[in-house]
Amino acid sequence: MATLVFLEHHAGELQKGSLGVLAKAATLGDVSAVVTGEGARALAAEAGRFGATKVWVCEDAEVAQPLPQPRIDVLAQVVADGGYDTVLFANSVLAADVAAGLAARLDAGLNWDLADLEIRDGEVIGKRPALQDSVYADVGWTSTPRLALFRAGSFDATPAGGGEPEVVDVSPTYAPHSTAVKLVAQDAEESSGPSIEDADVIVAGGRGLGAPDNFTLAEELAKALGGAVGATRAVVDAGWYPYSAQIGQTGKTVSPKLYVALGISGAIQHKVGMQSSGTIVAINKDANAPIFDFSDLGVVGDVHAIVPKLTELIRQRRGS
Amino acid sequence: MSRASNFPPPFSARDYVAEPTDPADERIEVGVLIVGAGPAGLACAIRLGQLLEESPETAEKLGDVPVAVLEKGKQPGSHLLSGAVVNPRALQRLFRNRVRMDELPSYGQVPGESVYVLTRRAALPIPPPPPMQNHGNWIFSLSQLGRFLGEQAEAGGAMILPETSAEQLLVSHGRVLGVRTGDKGRNREGGELGNFEPGSDLVAKVTVLAEGTQGHLTGVALDRFDLRGSDPQVWELAVKEVWKVAKPLDRVIHTMGWPLRTGKKFREFGGSFIYPMGDDMVTIGLVVGLDYRDASLSVHDLLQELKTHPKIKKILAGGERVEWGAKTIPSGGFHALPQRLHAPGLLLCGDGVGMVNVPRLKGIHYAIESGRLAAEAAFRALQRGETPSSALSSYDDAVRDSFIWSDLHEVRNMRQVFGRGFFVGGALASAMTISKGRVELGKMPAEPDADQPLLVTDRDKSYPAPDGKLTFDKLSSVFASGNKTRDDQPNHIRIERRVPLEVAQLWAHMCPAQVYEVGQADDDGTVLVELAPSNCVQCGAITAKGGRLTPPEGGSGPEYSVS
Repeated sequence: MATLVFLEHHAGELQKGSLGVLAKAATLGDVSAVVTGEGARALAAEAGRFGATKVWVCEDAEVAQPLPQPRIDVLAQVVADGGYDTVLFANSVLAADVAAGLAARLDAGLNWDLADLEIRDGEVIGKRPALQDSVYADVGWTSTPRLALFRAGSFDATPAGGGEPEVVDVSPTYAPHSTAVKLVAQDAEESSGPSIEDADVIVAGGRGLGAPDNFTLAEELAKALGGAVGATRAVVDAGWYPYSAQIGQTGKTVSPKLYVALGISGAIQHKVGMQSSGTIVAINKDANAPIFDFSDLGVVGDVHAIVPKLTELIRQRRGS
Repeated sequence: MSRASNFPPPFSARDYVAEPTDPADERIEVGVLIVGAGPAGLACAIRLGQLLEESPETAEKLGDVPVAVLEKGKQPGSHLLSGAVVNPRALQRLFRNRVRMDELPSYGQVPGESVYVLTRRAALPIPPPPPMQNHGNWIFSLSQLGRFLGEQAEAGGAMILPETSAEQLLVSHGRVLGVRTGDKGRNREGGELGNFEPGSDLVAKVTVLAEGTQGHLTGVALDRFDLRGSDPQVWELAVKEVWKVAKPLDRVIHTMGWPLRTGKKFREFGGSFIYPMGDDMVTIGLVVGLDYRDASLSVHDLLQELKTHPKIKKILAGGERVEWGAKTIPSGGFHALPQRLHAPGLLLCGDGVGMVNVPRLKGIHYAIESGRLAAEAAFRALQRGETPSSALSSYDDAVRDSFIWSDLHEVRNMRQVFGRGFFVGGALASAMTISKGRVELGKMPAEPDADQPLLVTDRDKSYPAPDGKLTFDKLSSVFASGNKTRDDQPNHIRIERRVPLEVAQLWAHMCPAQVYEVGQADDDGTVLVELAPSNCVQCGAITAKGGRLTPPEGGSGPEYSVS
């Protein structure tokens, strides 16, 4: 298997999701990576640490903006030059577009929303959650190159301890339609702390917080823990918190190392979005709340009394 | 005493009638447009496919897409839910020799049947009254049958457009020209998201509304063309579950009595059905007339309570719930049928117009038959190359000559026997059936479900606490319906949001999907009703009880697979 992983980066850092896929691929055999855009070269060594033996870099002006089409030209060139039979992506808005476009360009099969990958009897097998994540379906490819897009949080980004990778420049011929789109403006939502897909710690609030203003409890605790803030559908519906923070069946699926649920009852719609978290801590005043059935640590009590003290304690510990 | 009908929703049928707005060259033109991929709509599509195959010159006249079927669910069957013990008559007529009954995805013929009157702990068997006898009928999952009929319709040349809601009725100079589909990709406030896709004008020579119970455009058309029948339409609400079970069930069971109350002032008419689906599945449902009065009544929770009955618990022992769903059943019967089933360019079929035989608990075969007859009427008109205003009246004649009409006429006064009832046992009902409806009881005034004066009891205190194994809370049930509707979309439910407490309680308890919640009280004695529209499984109960359901974004709602 000759594998290539598409790495995304923001603000001079490779994305955790991409590095997770790279680290996973490194456990299956030799793996190369491709980094595009401004500052790509400087990130090659970091890619090496996560297992890439060869890193293709492209710093052409055409890929300066986060647009999919020119990157499809780059990837098509790299796949041809490097003879890759497997190309892996960590899901993101950009990666999903690039993967879909590359599939069309190469007439290749794309398995999306995968949670794992393995080699069994020489066959590459993807694991795809199905039936609302109650089972894994084994999926394969009938041709090469095999394209795969992994669900966020599928793999831990653990350094593989690799050496300095070989760095290869790539500069494809860009198709006229690839450069037809220009980014005219870019706006980012102001947010303090990590995004909820990337966070190792999530503090999520539910209706048990009582009022929109009480979300500061969750925010303060998240800040103290260096985590992100999540919300249940009920509070997003009620307008207490933005939709982008919604965790659950119809929101985001997350798997942080630590998930703190404040005043969340634990309806199944919420559970399916966070049940794969490492450690689940729930604080709720209703001892019969379903969340206690699947939390590692449950506290029956008033969030308004407990959380400020907890936050204070964490600050003290961290501060010392 | 409050009545839900005193607090009408902000809804006007006029807002859903429009002239085509897309430029003429951007309209999508089809021959016959069918709204709703259910038994009626798909039977219509299948029959049209048969007729057009025999008459290529007519097909030629209908353009590139002779037959199109709009479906608001993810796929045909996603929004179909029923008992369903089906009288095979209409299916046999539809398929003739092309498909045999045993080639359909059924669970076989009814193996035997029992009827029980329940008390809290006991079950007294009674002989099945004649209307409830099911010998010779077949057990189906309507959702599975819908998928099968969808494949048959497509094989016959129909184009099915799933995840597409029919939002407006296109009418020009008094003639129906088609429908406008709903927008997709709007946010909660109505703003356009990145994937916004506006609706389109779908223009047809004949439009067939086969939307099923509480059909959105059917309601609009009945008002626009002044077609409503002499009685108001009324409904029952059915909540059902499909269980995987350890032991096969060997017969079809119906129950009456507990957990419904017999006190006359409560007006609680209904009963349960428990059907085997092969050796390892059972479907169990509870049906209650929506003319009930107690604001604390919840059919969802009564079904949970029913399952704790020793007799029923035994059937489900060692089993596991695999699906859940809810739907209303029109039950106004003969007198609530529209005055006419057609308007210029338009035909109306099935449950949408109330073709349900309430004492026999049957409607699917009427839906299929009416769809078939609509196809023949549309074909006759199109074959002649024109659809003048009166051309479709042959459909009304055909329905009047069919078993749909004679069956419904026979039981036209049945509901008066017990006020109105789903499960009408006893001598009078039987006498009426045996005498083929010649027992004349005189017609009694009927009133809309939302007109019933409300009372509030504490019966909600006795609903069983959900244990997650035998009994469930509403949100778990919504999950088991497969509903994963996009939350960030405009609210599709029209209600008056400031109402007296008992009206808010009525809606909160009634809704099996936990869409309504009693919110903050105001100074003037009313409360604010909070909504979670993405929970909605589009059962239609809110339309019966004082609100108005409109179609959400296409693809929303439940995704039934074995219901």
